Amino acid sequence: MSGRGVWLRARARLRRFPALLAGCGEQASAYGRCVAAASAGSAELRRDVCLREFQALRECFARAVGPGSCLRGARVGRGPAAALTRFPLQAAAAK
Amino acid sequence: PIPHKGLWRPGRSPGRAAAAAAPPPGGASPGARSPFDRRLKRKQKNWAALRPRPAECEYLRDEVGGGVADRVLDIPRTFPLALDLGSGRGHIARHLSREVIEKLVRVDIAENVFKGTVESEIPTVSVVADEEFLPFKEDTFDLVVSSLSLHWVNDLPKAFREIHQVLKPDGVFIGAMFGGDTLYELRCSLQLAELEREGGFSPHVSPFVAVSDLGHLLSRAGFNTLTVDTDEIQVNYPGLFEVMEDLQGMGESNCSWNRKPLLHRDTMLAAAAIYQEMYGNSDGSVPATFQIFYMIGWKFHESQAKPAQRGSATVSLGDLAKIDKLLHQK
Repeated sequence: MSGRGVWLRARARLRRFPALLAGCGEQASAYGRCVAAASAGSAELRRDVCLREFQALRECFARAVGPGSCLRGARVGRGPAAALTRFPLQAAAAK
Repeated sequence: PIPHKGLWRPGRSPGRAAAAAAPPPGGASPGARSPFDRRLKRKQKNWAALRPRPAECEYLRDEVGGGVADRVLDIPRTFPLALDLGSGRGHIARHLSREVIEKLVRVDIAENVFKGTVESEIPTVSVVADEEFLPFKEDTFDLVVSSLSLHWVNDLPKAFREIHQVLKPDGVFIGAMFGGDTLYELRCSLQLAELEREGGFSPHVSPFVAVSDLGHLLSRAGFNTLTVDTDEIQVNYPGLFEVMEDLQGMGESNCSWNRKPLLHRDTMLAAAAIYQEMYGNSDGSVPATFQIFYMIGWKFHESQAKPAQRGSATVSLGDLAKIDKLLHQK
């Protein structure tokens, strides 16, 4: 990632997070409770222990963001370039 | 033009000190001895100082600056020459008057903080220098104050030794720094989120000194009559993102060498949810804890009270029950 433009866009996207998160309080709460329970006492927190709750949260979040944005269906590790290449394919399919 | 030539330590003029701050010897390489990237800290502080409304994020510094100023006022003396280490835009001097400090030298690693300083009636000289490489001669200052900047210093024992050195005999050092439990909610939320989402975690909140270590460090540096007390300030924020944004605005972003440069969106989302659920207040806001250690240390002078010699007691502790009678006898 290079260039000031990318950084500014990323920060602008980040600034919308709190407002979007506010609409997903229930899912966030469920995920938080799952993690708190998984790490309480002597239990060891491992990867993807609360995967279901997190996916619910992320879907709610993506719905709040709206259609046509990079967050929709984005998976961990996929950069903006991977998300952008979808659109030409979708347009071709619509023809 | 460099004012007050008599102040400077030979071989360490302020220009050289600023250049030394850029790649400090032994501080440029990451490792246990130098956990922080001082060059990055300088950039972060410079950035924070040039924001449109820097005063917005400075509520914490103002509060702690007031605490340090209170402790200065507790000492019924006038200090002819004082040093403010890591002064930022000047949060201590605004609470003090010319009767308390006659002349002030402010030192900070980021030059932009001096461009928008807070008004104070004390005549001030500003110097750009690193807290670990002070360009001043021995026995220069009657008072050294420092508020919320020593927690980013790589070699804290060395910084304390330098402070002790530039103090005059019977001079006093009054400092405040973040310690112990500061931002534990943020640290735990990020840690749990990274564990659950990514399977491992890296430190995102810098390591803080513990109160017991502080006492040891100060006495090792040569300070006498130490006082360390702690204050806990809890600030409420709407959520994790606002906490991190304000920390950035304060110039307190992480600059450890071992920090992870990237924080995945998913991890941040997860951390925000965890923060809210585990630590959230009933009104939906989240608290962020800042633990402040205030420390006072004196440089030795013959006039200072010394611990009494063994065997010089005139009254036994066993007579404590008869203390009223003893007092009347006097």
